[in-house]
Amino acid sequence: MKKKSILFTVPAFLIYTVLMIIPIAGAFLLSFTDWNGISAAYNTVGFKNYVDMLSDERLRNAIFVTLKITAVVAVTVNVLGLFIAMLLNRAKRLTNVFRSIFFLPYVLSTVAISFIWLAILSYTGVLNSLLEMFGMGNLAADYIGNAKNAIRSICVIEIWRMLGFHMVLYLASIQTVPRELYEACIMDGGNRWQQFRYITIPMIIPGITISVIMSIMTEMKQYDIVKVITNGGPGYSTETVTYNIVTQAFGNNMLGYSSAIAVFLFLIIAAVSILQLQLSKKLEVS
Amino acid sequence: MNMKNRKTSASSIILKIFLVILAVIFATPLYITLINIFKSTKEISSSPMSFPLPPILDNIIKVIKNPNVNLGEMYFNSLCITIFGALICILVSALAGYYLARMKSKLSQGIYIYFLLGLMVPYAIVYVPLVSIFKGIGLVGNLPGLIMVFVSGSISFSVFMYQGFIKSTPVELEEAAIIDGAGQLKIFTAVIFPLVKPCTTTVAIFIGLSMWNDFLTPLLIGQIKTITVGIYTAIGPYASDWGSVFAYVMFATLPIVIAYLLAQRQFIEGLTAGALKG
Repeated sequence: MKKKSILFTVPAFLIYTVLMIIPIAGAFLLSFTDWNGISAAYNTVGFKNYVDMLSDERLRNAIFVTLKITAVVAVTVNVLGLFIAMLLNRAKRLTNVFRSIFFLPYVLSTVAISFIWLAILSYTGVLNSLLEMFGMGNLAADYIGNAKNAIRSICVIEIWRMLGFHMVLYLASIQTVPRELYEACIMDGGNRWQQFRYITIPMIIPGITISVIMSIMTEMKQYDIVKVITNGGPGYSTETVTYNIVTQAFGNNMLGYSSAIAVFLFLIIAAVSILQLQLSKKLEVS
Repeated sequence: MNMKNRKTSASSIILKIFLVILAVIFATPLYITLINIFKSTKEISSSPMSFPLPPILDNIIKVIKNPNVNLGEMYFNSLCITIFGALICILVSALAGYYLARMKSKLSQGIYIYFLLGLMVPYAIVYVPLVSIFKGIGLVGNLPGLIMVFVSGSISFSVFMYQGFIKSTPVELEEAAIIDGAGQLKIFTAVIFPLVKPCTTTVAIFIGLSMWNDFLTPLLIGQIKTITVGIYTAIGPYASDWGSVFAYVMFATLPIVIAYLLAQRQFIEGLTAGALKG
């Protein structure tokens, strides 16, 4: 085979290095400074930003909110996604129609769908109007006015957005399971639950791993919905980690400190992706 | 046997009913959006689920006529980003993917891993330094600058896809072209690029959609009014005029909904292909 010129990689290499790798390196460097983004002068402060993070109540809350959203959404979209995929797999001719309906929210912009839900869940919104209409006005609530309800609402929106995507992932996995295995199981007198438990689940373990890790990674970067629905409020009670980074950097001019938080998020996400690589390698072998 | 059949068909009817109910619940927010575009805000709160009779166009006209909202500009910016961003990214990534798929040296493997690093980066880490750099050299608000930022953010995924796809294509076709005296670039444009068309479709849908829908990047780095940033600023943080909110949502999503309806299979397969390969 003839040798290929390395020049082929140069355009992609340059764009990627200048606009992606250098900024990441910049964030690492900035995280050791107290730069405010405005003055030219800054001091190197060593690990001070990282130490400060430990006692930052606001950041702790943001981490807690992010983990809560991640846990609720990841569990729901995966359990429900697999369940609906199992049903759809048996729906035959209708499979594609349902698949298209469930998948539609995923292709719309998160900002747009957040506004749809804002109009539904606001105090003067559609849901409360409906309750009023059916004479259940006393059940009307402010679904985004306090932190507890707002986080629940954010989870509902995110589940609605992501469910179709995970369902399609599971549907694709399920369809790769050879029919003969089911036939063998039926011959041995296996009922539907046993087929699911002893054939489907073991055969789609790689698909489950990918889907679970993808949902975790998506939710850990959550920003858009929070921005539209609550703006982080009331106070900063519904801030996620990414929201916290952006506000600390561009709202409070703490570029050094926000870089430290960004590095922290980067390390966690990198760890999750490495875990994913290891797991999928292991699963491929077995 | 007969009884078993009856049992199966009964359970299959229950299954279908259940799926239909689920699909209806799922589609309700979209139905609410669609019908309420054509109602006054007062009507929305008095009968939010009813069909708009007669439909009114006030919300749409209000959005179009709003002097602070330039829909043409928003569409222009979003279209430029999506089309040029995707084109440039596809071109540079396919070229790089070609080299990385065909060369088996240590160097090529090193470059490949270097490109993949971007897949595990939360983009939030890039914003702070990048905004500072853009401010420093006066690129804030510069559309080509923002397009290149989008390209850089999609290169990892695209290189990954092209490397994998080109690796699985037979080398024999290229060898025939070499015998005909074609140069490396000629082989790429005449043999490889047409051959990887399915991969290009997948990549184009995946990165094009993410560019069209992105919110934070144009908000922070470009401060450019794309359709997402545009409707966000137009609606503002204290929205209560739900009629116009629904109209804005329609303007932001209509091009995507049309594209989706025309090419559902490609969209669904394109957007999940990357995940399943990974």
